[in-house]
Amino acid sequence: MKTAVNKIYNPEIECMSREAIREMQNERLQKTIRLVYDKVEVYRKRMDEKGVKPEDIKTIDDLHLLPFTEKTDLRDYFPYGLFAADLKDIVRIQGSSGTTGKPIVSGYTENDVEAWSEMVARALYAAGGGEDDIVQVAYGYGLFTGGLGAHQGATKIGATVIPMSSGNTERQIMMMQELGATMLCCTPSYATYLGETVKEKGLQGKIKLKSGCFGAEPWTEEMRQNLENLLDIDAMNIYGLTEMGGPGIAFECLEKDGMHINEDHVIAEIIDPVTDEPLPYGEYGELVFTSITKTGMPLIRYRTHDICCLNPEPCACGRTHVRMSRITGRTDDMMVIRGVNVFPSQIESVLMRVKGVTPNYMLIVDRVNSTDTLEVQVELSEEMFTDTVSGIERIRDEIKENIKSVVGISVKVQLVPPKTIQRFEGKAKRVIDNRKLGF
Amino acid sequence: MYVKQISVYLENVRGTLREMTKTLAQNGVDMLALSIADTANFGIVRLVVREEQIPLTIECMRSAGFMVRMDEVICVQVPNKPAGLDSVLEVVDNAGLSVEYIYSFTISLENGALLIIRTNDNDKAYEALNKGKIKVYNQNEINSL
Repeated sequence: MKTAVNKIYNPEIECMSREAIREMQNERLQKTIRLVYDKVEVYRKRMDEKGVKPEDIKTIDDLHLLPFTEKTDLRDYFPYGLFAADLKDIVRIQGSSGTTGKPIVSGYTENDVEAWSEMVARALYAAGGGEDDIVQVAYGYGLFTGGLGAHQGATKIGATVIPMSSGNTERQIMMMQELGATMLCCTPSYATYLGETVKEKGLQGKIKLKSGCFGAEPWTEEMRQNLENLLDIDAMNIYGLTEMGGPGIAFECLEKDGMHINEDHVIAEIIDPVTDEPLPYGEYGELVFTSITKTGMPLIRYRTHDICCLNPEPCACGRTHVRMSRITGRTDDMMVIRGVNVFPSQIESVLMRVKGVTPNYMLIVDRVNSTDTLEVQVELSEEMFTDTVSGIERIRDEIKENIKSVVGISVKVQLVPPKTIQRFEGKAKRVIDNRKLGF
Repeated sequence: MYVKQISVYLENVRGTLREMTKTLAQNGVDMLALSIADTANFGIVRLVVREEQIPLTIECMRSAGFMVRMDEVICVQVPNKPAGLDSVLEVVDNAGLSVEYIYSFTISLENGALLIIRTNDNDKAYEALNKGKIKVYNQNEINSL
């Protein structure tokens, strides 16, 4: 039942003026830089190398003087190398197993756990949550920040928490129904699976959910529509990452028009992933975060490799914190074609707007006579198929034109027969780069 | 007023066309007209069958993995003599229409050949052909061939 209404957990902070936010950020940034310079050897060394002293950082405009932090730093200085607090003051470790071997961890002081809980509390309020709600947490509990993060936030707002953890779908649905859960927290793909199962079982009218906060993986508007229809809820996007402390760094309100970044706890920047230069509001680039309240493991200019853009306009809901768009891609899969940065996600969004095009495509990069070429292979679908050759060619040209106008480069579009593009069960590999860039 | 045409998408790979004809043969589909458009990457086979065989044709093509669609096209009778086709195209041309493709039936009638004409505007073409006193066949007439 879609009955969620807009609520603001901490209006004093969440609706403060842009000037006041800036003031707060300036002050907290100075304090954090002083802290890491004094307590974290890596940061002190890097700042010294750049000739930057803590006193040089006066406002957020000085951020660009500071070195970046990369995910590899968390591995290289594993486990405690980036901690700014003594272990006796660290009350929690969270982490991610890391798909590439070595794990990464984040340490929390009591203050950090408290701040994290409030960030998630704000997200749950923004999704219409409160003390009358029964929140089913179907994120995994453990080192992964999803389960405990949602749990703490729901506890903070005084809701009743059902700590289901992930998996065991039958049981999830049974408890959801019997206990009358009103909110759900899990990954959007698991929520979709739950929704499909609810539908299959014919239980759609028997579930009391009104909304949910879904995150920990990128998803699309189409997925939201589908999820909202399946469970008859408001499906909200929540963003976070272990390195910055977990979910709740940013969250959507019921306007569903971007995620509010908790700017009293972090500073967000967008940079050009190639030149590393900061980009103005509204431009798409790599999202970079600086912690300004953490005392356990504050990270400076942490490169998320996530691509999005920022919007500083106040939201219709009343909140004033900057909003981030959905994550549209990763810098890791960025291609540089004839000097232009191209993201597979940009091409995908163009393709999805052409009638009949399915999300099965492949991008093939090559170099012919010292010029980069990009071939976009798209599977022909029944909807695109016409009885005339010119009709099919028109669709091909339409795709070509649209890519040119969005991405800014000419590509070759090849329509391939149905079911000829490889299907992926896990993370899809959509780019084949045949350029021989050896030296 | 129109005739139903089934189009099949074929990958430009050896054996695909045979795969299609084999499927049609196994299902006893009787083709009344057939044309193949070929490009470097793919081909489009268009065919006309009697109405009663349309569901069967579409179904067997789909279950064999082919992409299929159905369109309405115009079927005309063309005098079986020099300038026969030209007299038809003159009418189409004078109506300001352009032709996408033409192909003929495998059966010839006593008073002329049967052609499928696909222009950029079915309704206008139908109207022009009628005015030009060109005999246009409908699906019922095709069914009894």
